[in-house]
Order: sequence, then structure tokens, then C-alpha cells
Amino acid sequence: MRALTGNRLTDGEAVFWKAGAWVERFADAELFAAEDAAETAEGHAKAQQTIVVDPYLIDLVESEGLWAPVSYRERLRALGPTNHPMHGKQAEGGAAIEALRHAHGAARSTGRVNLIKRK
Amino acid sequence: MPTLIKKGQGDDFAFADDAFTAVADDQDIPQGDVIISLARFQTDGDRLLSEGRQIGVRIEPAEEVEALAYDLPRLAVVALAFPKHRDGRAFSSATLLRKRLGFAGEVRAVGDVFLEQAGHMVRCGFDAFEAAPGVTPDQWAHVVHRHRHVYQRAVDARPPAFVEREE
Amino acid sequence: MYQYDAIDKDVLADRAAEFREQVDRRLKGEITEDQFKQLRLMNGLYLQLHAYMLRIAIPYGSLNSTQMRKLAEIGRTYDKGYGHFTTRTNLQFHWIKLKDAPEILDHLASVDMHAIQTSGNCIRNVTADPYAGATADELDDPRVWSEAIRQWSSLHPEFSFLPRKFKIAITASAKDRTAAKAHDIGLMIRRARDGQLGFEVIVGGGMGRTPFIGPTVREFLPANRLFSYLEAILRVYNRHGRRDNIYKARIKILVSALGREEFARQVEEEWAKIGPAGDLPDTEIARIRGAFAPKAFDVLVNRSEKYEAALATDPAFARFARNNLKPHKRAGYTIVEVSLKGIGDTPGDATSEQMEVVADLAERYGQDDIRVTHEQNLVLPHVRLDDAHTVYLALAKAGLGTPNINLITDIIACPGLDYCALANARAIPIAQDIAKRFADQDRAELIGELKIKISGCINACGHHHVGHVGILGVDKKGEEFYQLTLGGSGAEDASIGKILGPALPADKVTDAIDTLVEVYLRERHDGERFLDTFRRTGDAPFKEAVYADAH
Repeated sequence: MRALTGNRLTDGEAVFWKAGAWVERFADAELFAAEDAAETAEGHAKAQQTIVVDPYLIDLVESEGLWAPVSYRERLRALGPTNHPMHGKQAEGGAAIEALRHAHGAARSTGRVNLIKRK
Repeated sequence: MPTLIKKGQGDDFAFADDAFTAVADDQDIPQGDVIISLARFQTDGDRLLSEGRQIGVRIEPAEEVEALAYDLPRLAVVALAFPKHRDGRAFSSATLLRKRLGFAGEVRAVGDVFLEQAGHMVRCGFDAFEAAPGVTPDQWAHVVHRHRHVYQRAVDARPPAFVEREE
Repeated sequence: MYQYDAIDKDVLADRAAEFREQVDRRLKGEITEDQFKQLRLMNGLYLQLHAYMLRIAIPYGSLNSTQMRKLAEIGRTYDKGYGHFTTRTNLQFHWIKLKDAPEILDHLASVDMHAIQTSGNCIRNVTADPYAGATADELDDPRVWSEAIRQWSSLHPEFSFLPRKFKIAITASAKDRTAAKAHDIGLMIRRARDGQLGFEVIVGGGMGRTPFIGPTVREFLPANRLFSYLEAILRVYNRHGRRDNIYKARIKILVSALGREEFARQVEEEWAKIGPAGDLPDTEIARIRGAFAPKAFDVLVNRSEKYEAALATDPAFARFARNNLKPHKRAGYTIVEVSLKGIGDTPGDATSEQMEVVADLAERYGQDDIRVTHEQNLVLPHVRLDDAHTVYLALAKAGLGTPNINLITDIIACPGLDYCALANARAIPIAQDIAKRFADQDRAELIGELKIKISGCINACGHHHVGHVGILGVDKKGEEFYQLTLGGSGAEDASIGKILGPALPADKVTDAIDTLVEVYLRERHDGERFLDTFRRTGDAPFKEAVYADAH
């Protein structure tokens, strides 16, 4: 499973693709099971140069019935910094945030798909 | 086809007709005024000049302008290449052409010629610019004149801050 | 300190206006992200994990109370009420919006501050001795030369698109508080036998993937020839530095590839061609020097009864004095180090309220002068001993009284993976964990000077190569691991640390530090610092103890 993410141009906020628009919560992100659907969305996202910077696909893993980014880096983007638990997306709290905080199975710390191809 | 912007005598900028044809090494040399590579100039330069043409030489960032030292009086243009706008070697090449080698002909920026670098280019002695399509001389002039003061001596005649302060 | 004149102010205003236009063009889609990235970086604006980060220049680490209050205000208005002081003596805000950046630059310009060249492949903020003008052992005031370099390097037409970033440090003391030998150029002020002022010029030091202690390329450069010589170095580098590989593009690689002698020869050859035309007129140096004229210090006696009484009655102050007060060149004065390493806090972070407390103290008791150190602390360089206790109490009340300068809890850490888009692992939680382990001040003082420096990736913003103990975060199959290096130093006895062994998982790092300390305490001879013991014994006893479990 994959999600599509980037940073919003105007404020740098980490955002996630959802049906042609961008949402701030990872929990609201569109999940792609199919390779081609993910890549089509990525193509559309890359064309949105004045909305989002440098969009890319990330890999997800299942953790206790929820999907979480594989990489530690992407989990931090979806949550906020660990030294300030009330800064960033994690500040709103709730079940989805807690689940992400405690998700296990983190693998590669970049977790970027096609990292080399992108550069 | 890129558009050529040229600097006038008084820091003014205007579109100019480009009399020169840029010729790649694998192309035949056409009639008229041409800009050719350093390698080609070293083999064919004398012959082309003897035909009464105006010649320009294109210098890549890794090539040293000193290689042209003795030929500069015969050249109309030295074109300094920016393969990427981030490659800043041409700023040194232009500075040396003007300050050290005394080149009085046209120093032209070619390649990835980025509007936002116009000020630095002019200060280093460039006076012709193959700017990206859509860039106007007015924009070029605007960027060049953004800063009212400069801190360093460069190729241009602008007095640096330490001179202004003494006035 | 240096006062901006009308020209300096115009430059900042024009630069802010220029950036406003560039941002506007990006938002309208007239320039691509690839083009804009270079432009925003040259104003210190990065896109990090959660937001934009704005790195504000604190030229040679020197600022006044008005400027500090402005930083506090920006932190409160545009960030989350705090800022992060860096190993480059700059200040970073981590929660900035692109659309606010031009306005922030206007705010900065209003107090003679900017973010010019705090990133990008250009000449960066000069590092100078944070004790400049206050320490007895300096030959000249390095700020004079730092400010001259700041001006010369700002928007330099020829040297703004170098192969890679370029950092210069200047020190005038036998004790190097700038890590000069780990800079692209380190300038050490020297006086010739005939009294002439000049510089020993060190080129090609650096950290990152390939660390080097820079070699001396010129033993003595007359001070009035500095700028032509800098031009020669920069031109040789701009023309011949590698541009094909970002990791091999720093000048250290060029110096190392050519060898010190050949590099020096090329610089000297270029320098001869430039000649004195490339130098600044003496009158300009004199003008700048005037701005740093010695303060009107009160004539005081060495002993302050008030200070002595406070030492006797307030043991917490006595501890602070032992660790955070440093000798001043004038009788009756002291240099106050303000630790931004509160136990369990984020190294280098200060809240807007803390910045304001420091600003108030500087204004009231410190000749309106504040410094930032490359070890991520602040300094009030000119405080009367009579006022030291009052200053301490105010600092302590604001959470700034941690008495740990140069101790094991005075840890350098980069923002790491908590914020930085380049990081492989977090640095801050490691620093917090170690600091908590050594929170006992008696034990910390027993251990003595021990510099721990943590980087979250090989770019080494946390200076781990020159830590007595360096900690480098690496990514091992998705997990945060940490590689220990021992024996580094960024001071006058500069050296690059040696990797101790295989990287450790995050939860083993603090234990390993504890083990290293135990070995040191067991092995040390009288008066030896951790670094001295390590240099004497080599890594064997340390390695054996840390990896004992693995055997």
C-alpha cells in the first residue's frame, strides 16, 4: 500500500493526496493498492507546481489493522517532532495519532519510492 | 531560438539582432559570422578569420579563458557557457577576460542564462545575454538595478561602499 | 558593535525587496522550484520536514538587545515562540511559512539583520571568537575583520555560485573557540616579530563526509593584504573545485587532491596577479575598527566584595561561577556564558521569553552586547563582577542558569530527523537522554571538560567529528543507529575523532557514554581531561568496555 505526499508550497506543511486534493492529516490520505493508480496520481501531483513541492510516493505497512508509513522519517512528517509533542500534526491528538505513534514495523528510514529515479 | 539581450553604453538593455550563428562541433560551418568551440577555433580559427568573418568562441566552464589570451584582439565575441545556472565558473572567466586579459569585445552569457543572476553577470563584465524565452530587456534591467549599492570592486565601474563612504 | 550606516541599511532593504519579488514569482509559477530553491537558500530558507526553516544570520555571533528582542518577536509571531541557535552561530526558526518570509526579512532589516547567504554555495556567516573584545589573550579584535569579510562577501558577483558552501573562521587567541581548523578558511591572527599584524591562513579544513583538519597554506599574511588573498583562494576554488560530485565539491577536497604545496602555489600565483588592487583601503578597515572601539569600562578593582559574598552564601551561584564565568580582560569584569543546554531541553533552543531575558540583562548589565557560540550557547561578554549574582539569579529564574559550560551535559546537537530533511536519525532525544543521565552536577564536574557532539547525518552540522565524544546518527535498515567517535577536538589542539566500533542502537547510546566515562575516570591521571586520557591510552580500553557485551 502507498500514499502520496509532499509539502505545500505556501507554508511547507506536509500534505497528503486525497482524490485530487491535498489534506493535512495522514489519516485522511488516499491509500493506493494499485501501482498504476499511485503513479497516475503522482503524475498529476507533479504538475501542480504552484501548490505542492516535490511530491513523492511513500510505502506503508500494516500495523494492528492500520496503515502507517514504513519509514521513521515519514512517520515524523505525519506526526511532528518528538522533542515537542505539542508541535505539528500530533498536537491534535486522538486515536489516529496515537496509533501512528505506536505503529511497529518501521523499516527504511527514507521510505521514498523511486528515490534514485526522482533525482 | 533564444533571444539576445544586449547592454548599451549607459546600463540600458535592449533586444538585439544576433548576427552570429552558434555552430556545434558536429555541424558544418555556415556562411557569415559564427560562434564556435575553443577546440574548433584552435583548428579552424585562422582560416575563418582570413575569410573576413567575425568570429566568436564559446568557452565551457572547465576551459580556461587564458587559452585565448593571444587571440582576443581578433575575436568579436567570447561566449561563456552556463550548462546549469548554478555553475558559477563563468563569473570568474568573465572577470578574467575583462580585468586581466583586457578583452573589449562582447562577453555573452549562453546556456542556462537565469534572469536572477543578471546583476552578478553585469558586474563581472557580461554585456550580452541569451536569456530564456519570455524574458524582456525591462526585466533584465530591473534585476540589474535592484541593488543601489555594492560592497566590492568588480569589472563594472560601480563604486563599492567603501568608496561611496569617502565621497 | 558595528553600526549600520545608510549604505548598509539600503543593502538590506534592497535584498529584502529582491526576495519578496522572487517569492512572488515562485508563487505565481513564473520560476520553477529548482530555480527558486537556489534563490531561497541564499536567503537561508529551507523546506524541512514539517515547514520551512529560516536561518537568520548572526554575523560573527554578535548581536545587541534590540536585535535579540526582534528575534524573540519573530519567534512569537511567525514561529511557535522559540528559536534554535546553531553551530554556525546563527538562529533557525523551524515553523516558517513561505508567504511570511519576505515580511520577516523586513522585520530583520529594521534592526540591521538579515538572512543573506546563510545557505547556498556561497560565502557563509563568518565565525569569530565569541569572547572577542573581552578576553585578555587576543592580539586584535577579530570582529573588525569579520565585519569587513561580511561586507566583502555579501552578494559577491564572482563568488556567489561556488562549487559548494564556504565558511570562514577568525580567531585572535591562543585558545581557539571557533573550530578554525575545521573551516574552509581559518584565519588566526598573528603578530610578526616586528609587530606587524597578520594572519596564519589555514585552508581546507572541514567536517562532513570527508573530515579534514586544514593545513596552513601561509604562515603569515600581512593583515592589509587579506582581501586580495581571499580573492585568490576563492578564485582558485571557484575555477578548479569539483562540481561533478556534491560530496567532493568542498575546497578541502581540492586542497587534499592538489596537496598543500601545490594549492598554496596556485593561490600565490593568482595572488601575485591580483596585487594590492584587490585589497580594502586601510581607511575602510579603520572605519570598521572604530565601530568596535573598546567599551568605556568602569575602572574597578579586581576583587568584588559583592561577588565574594554571593559566592560564600549561594552555593548554586558558586557552582555557576565555577563553570560559566570566564576571565575578562578588565579588572572587576567577567564573561558570562549562558547555557542553552538545560538538562532534558533541546540543545540550542531558546524561547522568546528567554531571549528577552537575555536581551534585558545585556542592556542593563552587559553593555548591550550578546554573543552566540558555535557550541550553541550565549555569552554576555562584559558583566561587572558586582552584577554577576544578580545576572545569575535572573538567568536561573528563566531556566537559563544551567552551570554546565564545557561539561558532559553541554552537548551540541543538530536538529536531526525531528526537523531536518537530510537527517538519517534523531539527534535531540539522544542529547536529552545523555544529559538526564548526567544531571548530577557533582558528577558532571568530577568528570570535567567533556565535549559531546551529535549529528543526525554525515553532513556533520552537529560537529561530531571534533567532539571528544562524537555521535553520528546512521540509518541501519530503517532503524536509528549511532556511531561513536572518540578523540576529536575543534579547539587549538584540533583533531578528527576515531570511530570506536560498530554503531549502537538508540537505547544503548547513553549506557555506552556512561561506560566511556567510567573507563576515563579509572584511567585518568591527575589533571587529565577525557581527551587527554584518550590520547594517552588510545581507544583500546574504551573499545573493550563498550563492546564487552558483544564478546
